[in-house]
Amino acid sequence: MFIEADGLSLPIRPALAEQIDEAWRRLARPGTWWNGAERVAIAAEVRRAPTCDLCRRRKEALSPYTVDGAHDTDGVLAPEAVEAIHRLKTDAGRITGKWVRSIADSPLGEERYVEIISLSAIVTAIDTFDRAMGLPLRALPEPVPGEPSRVRPAGAVRDIAWVTTLAPDKVAPGEINPFAVHGEKNIHRTVSLVPQEVFNFFDLDVELYLHDHEIRDFSIEPRAINHAQIELIAARASAINGCFY
Amino acid sequence: MNGGETQVAHGDVLVRFVDAVLGDDQAELVAARHAVREAVGPAAFVDTCATVASFNAVVKLADGSGVPLEDEKAERTASLRSEFGLDAWHKA
Repeated sequence: MFIEADGLSLPIRPALAEQIDEAWRRLARPGTWWNGAERVAIAAEVRRAPTCDLCRRRKEALSPYTVDGAHDTDGVLAPEAVEAIHRLKTDAGRITGKWVRSIADSPLGEERYVEIISLSAIVTAIDTFDRAMGLPLRALPEPVPGEPSRVRPAGAVRDIAWVTTLAPDKVAPGEINPFAVHGEKNIHRTVSLVPQEVFNFFDLDVELYLHDHEIRDFSIEPRAINHAQIELIAARASAINGCFY
Repeated sequence: MNGGETQVAHGDVLVRFVDAVLGDDQAELVAARHAVREAVGPAAFVDTCATVASFNAVVKLADGSGVPLEDEKAERTASLRSEFGLDAWHKA
């Protein structure tokens, strides 16, 4: 399979191309706590955040929590949602537990916040891929009508993280098991309060990066770059983002 | 991390590209993109782009949720983190 980018026809793994396209289309479908139009609005806000003046001033400040003001926004989403989206996009490395709890306890609510985390990550992933490749920003998808499912796992608790998460051994019978396909590491628990988002993000991410069983299997090289090159890229990107995990 | 001292194949070119993708200098991005394509070839270039995308995104999950590093990973990486001063970032 080939992708046209920067005037060239470049080979791309079919699974990677398919998951990127599917993840983009899925943005516009009803989610768990946001409908399709709201999810597209969240995606638009993710893209708006890097040019937000308040975000710029906060990024430059010694502490983002000392800078007040209003975000640059089109006003579609509530202020708490915009605050969450902009912070995740522009300064996630300095997010604190106190800030997360303030968002979770706001009218936004923890479930909607966790879905925002996933959507922010998915839009960032695809936009970053396109930017790296030399492709233009892709158009946001048209919202698909329908209601959110509003499914909250019964066994989710707030223990290891700043948000409520579901432990792999607490998935209730008959409920969606977000750990069944991609793994049970802590990174898979991050958005498990909204189990469908675990699939939504990691279905894409395992093709961008590696499947869980491939990460430490040095007997195989499933990508055109090797493990060492992959981990060098990963470490550099994580360092720039100031991410400890 | 000094990309010029890596022992990873084309490490310096890859590091330059990551910096350019995540930076603001469009001219540098164009140059770095060309350099990495020339160095690693077209299929590897696409996978490089995909890897940068993954790690620019997955950090949102970790940082936004505050999920901690697993104990066994923390133990295995203790000396490495100390050597590079990474524990100063310990939030998520």
